[in-house]
Amino acid sequence: MRVLAVTVNLGAALLVMTSTPGYAAGGEAIFKKSCTSCHYTDGPAKEKTIADQLAKKGPELWYAGSKFKKEWLLAWLQDPQPIRPLKYNSLTENNPRNHPKLSAGDAAAMTDYLMGFTSPEVKAGVITPKETAQGKHTFVKKAPCGGCHEYPEKGVARGGKSGPSLVGASKRLNPDWIYAYLANINVFKPVRDMPDFGSVLNPEYLKKVSAYVATFE
Amino acid sequence: MSRFVIATPLFLGLVLGAAGPVQAADSKQVFEFYCAQCHGMDGKGRGINVTKDFATDPRNLTDSTEMAKRTDNDIRNVIKEGGPSINKSALMPPWGATLSAAEVDGLVTYIRKLCDCKGN
Repeated sequence: MRVLAVTVNLGAALLVMTSTPGYAAGGEAIFKKSCTSCHYTDGPAKEKTIADQLAKKGPELWYAGSKFKKEWLLAWLQDPQPIRPLKYNSLTENNPRNHPKLSAGDAAAMTDYLMGFTSPEVKAGVITPKETAQGKHTFVKKAPCGGCHEYPEKGVARGGKSGPSLVGASKRLNPDWIYAYLANINVFKPVRDMPDFGSVLNPEYLKKVSAYVATFE
Repeated sequence: MSRFVIATPLFLGLVLGAAGPVQAADSKQVFEFYCAQCHGMDGKGRGINVTKDFATDPRNLTDSTEMAKRTDNDIRNVIKEGGPSINKSALMPPWGATLSAAEVDGLVTYIRKLCDCKGN
């Protein structure tokens, strides 16, 4: 009888533990109140058509905890500077620079909430930031990322405008996420205006270019 | 019976008539979503990514003289395999793993409308 009671109690405790969200409840409340008109956190990806993607006003955040660095996210939410040169989903309008600012307390709660959304596709410890000749060659020549993404060169942002900027990627992005995204882009973003390079470049190229991007100041 | 015979072509006509514009709109949407960032909404090769750092000039798809030199298959292949497959810039990336065969075929048709030309 005692064994049964212990088992039931242990089971109940485990149930509570596994059903407790890994983020602060305050962050979830703020998100539901203020963020859902542009972002969603309930993955996996919902978009199936171009129209689905175009209907979104901001990026999906259901893998935010695997994508962003926590310290960067905490600071950015308090002082959001444009990541994309252009308005989301637009090729003609500049970024309106109107992302809401959060207080330090709200930003901390939101950071805890968003960092709880991770993807098992992102394996830890695969990519170490490093500039190599092969990584740079892939970025510049083989699959010229700078055609669509801004990148830093001697302190100046150069390159294309349609994609999110890669300036500051070393501070913003988890290097392992960069590789996972390139290798298996359809899991994260099934409809996007970026080619599936994971299907045409071998994993070594993808790893080297991910490590290179992860050095960008 | 006669009513059926009359109604069937009418129905087919409505379906086919509706399918044409829908397909055209889809290809326009595909072009504007994937291609316009470099080739421009109007296809003239001056998309938003074409800054001073862009190492080549994206093809002006309305240039009927140049575009007539390419067969439909050439265009289909360069969309799928990228610029290096025809010794052109890698800034034209391979879209074969991203677009369906039907979307690529639709783009070829759409691009032929932009250049108002046929391939030799």
